[in-house]
Amino acid sequence: MTIGEKFTSAFIAENRWQLYLKGLGITIEIAFFAAILGLILGTVLALMKLSTHRNGKPGVMHYIATAYVDIIRGTPSVLQLLIMWFIVMKSSNNGVLVASLSFGLNSAAYVSEIVRAGILAVDKGQMEAGRSLGLTKGMTMRYIVLPQAMKNIIPPMGNEFITLLKETAIVGYVSLNDLTRAANLIQSRTYEAFMPLIGAAVIYFVVIKALTLVLGVVERRLRRSDNR
Amino acid sequence: MKKLLALVLTGVLGVSLLTACGSSSSASSASSAPAETASTESASAPAETESASGSALDKDTLVIGTNAAFPPFEYAGDDGTPAGFDIELINAIGEKLGKKVEVKDMEFDSLVASIGNKIDIAIAGMTVTEERQKMVDFSDPYYEAVQNVIVTKDSAIASADDLKNKKIGVQLGTTGDFIASDIEGSEVSQYNKAVDAVNDLINGRVDCVIVDANPAQEFVSQHTEELTALEGSQFGFETENYAIAMPKGDTALVEAVNQALKELKEDGTFDKLVAENITGE
Repeated sequence: MTIGEKFTSAFIAENRWQLYLKGLGITIEIAFFAAILGLILGTVLALMKLSTHRNGKPGVMHYIATAYVDIIRGTPSVLQLLIMWFIVMKSSNNGVLVASLSFGLNSAAYVSEIVRAGILAVDKGQMEAGRSLGLTKGMTMRYIVLPQAMKNIIPPMGNEFITLLKETAIVGYVSLNDLTRAANLIQSRTYEAFMPLIGAAVIYFVVIKALTLVLGVVERRLRRSDNR
Repeated sequence: MKKLLALVLTGVLGVSLLTACGSSSSASSASSAPAETASTESASAPAETESASGSALDKDTLVIGTNAAFPPFEYAGDDGTPAGFDIELINAIGEKLGKKVEVKDMEFDSLVASIGNKIDIAIAGMTVTEERQKMVDFSDPYYEAVQNVIVTKDSAIASADDLKNKKIGVQLGTTGDFIASDIEGSEVSQYNKAVDAVNDLINGRVDCVIVDANPAQEFVSQHTEELTALEGSQFGFETENYAIAMPKGDTALVEAVNQALKELKEDGTFDKLVAENITGE
């Protein structure tokens, strides 16, 4: 086979390009829902982790969140996916849902650490100032600390989204046809590895590059007020 | 300006990397196309030296690829290494050829693409198909099989028409996968292992599983309460032949393996292995 024929058989014959496209759709779908779940749950976990009793000691919420983060970070995400698929959500037919949930719960643990670090990086004086102006603890957090923390959070959060998007490549384990699986599938039909694998790699790269550009724009806009 | 330069340089590097691999692979496959003598798809150096020096037979150790998720032909044995009919057969062949045999467990769908570079021979209950024959040479067939359809006991599936518009579980890249993908309106779930497909049949995620007869019996025997395996003839599936896959154009190796296979059949070893591993007598 010439390189042209290889290209044809890997992308054009039998409308195979549709498989990559469908695969990419599934990859993005899973990553998108997982990112949203991760963002929400992760922020909640971070606040739980930072919560204290009135006496200033960490409360029960803190320990629950810490245990959750420890367990999730201490186990491989492929195992979490298999556990979710074959055990926890055994009766669910919706593969994208199961995968999104699995990756979202996983991502939340990492997001919570990012958010926590972002909040801690805001000077303590900001909280004290808010409190001395008569705001409640929750209000200070919402209106003063979190908006400033956002700026610290965005860059590592972009990192986490990128990791998340690429990590979805393991859903082939549970027979979801994501982009990586589409490449595997075509390789199993054409017995030729080069084109499908490189093709899928290029598609991932393009998508992640686009994501990086968008994150760059967001970051720049948040920093606009820095230079006065 | 510097940025632009860096970008351009990166681009050039990337493109040259890709084309470097690309052109060498097209060169090797171009030579394989007319004469069909060069080794497999890969452009790797060992594959080329192999076809130049003649045969994988020149080596002391033959590297065998299999997919140990296909009982009773191959499965993970008690010590975790592949065991089963195919493994014993290839060991016996290795003995006949006076070669050491090293068995590697890998994904079924990557076996064919690995022959000639990662492995010398693949034995994995692999059916001879025209597409595969374009990429590898096969030995004489050593076993006849047909696909079975595993269904739950309460399933209404009984004929080829019933399979239309159904959710079908298969192992990626197997004959069952090819058959299922061709069925009208089918929604095929490809798993890395057939046993995962069977699990999802029990979980209700797929309506049936198409897999070779012997593994099908094996899987059903573990879930006799819930599952049953239907004969492929009921669905019009054709009989298939398992054979050993070897690098394209390595005729010396193919002949040697065929000779060994013939001797093993003649001296009764083959039948003994069948009885021990497959028919369970």
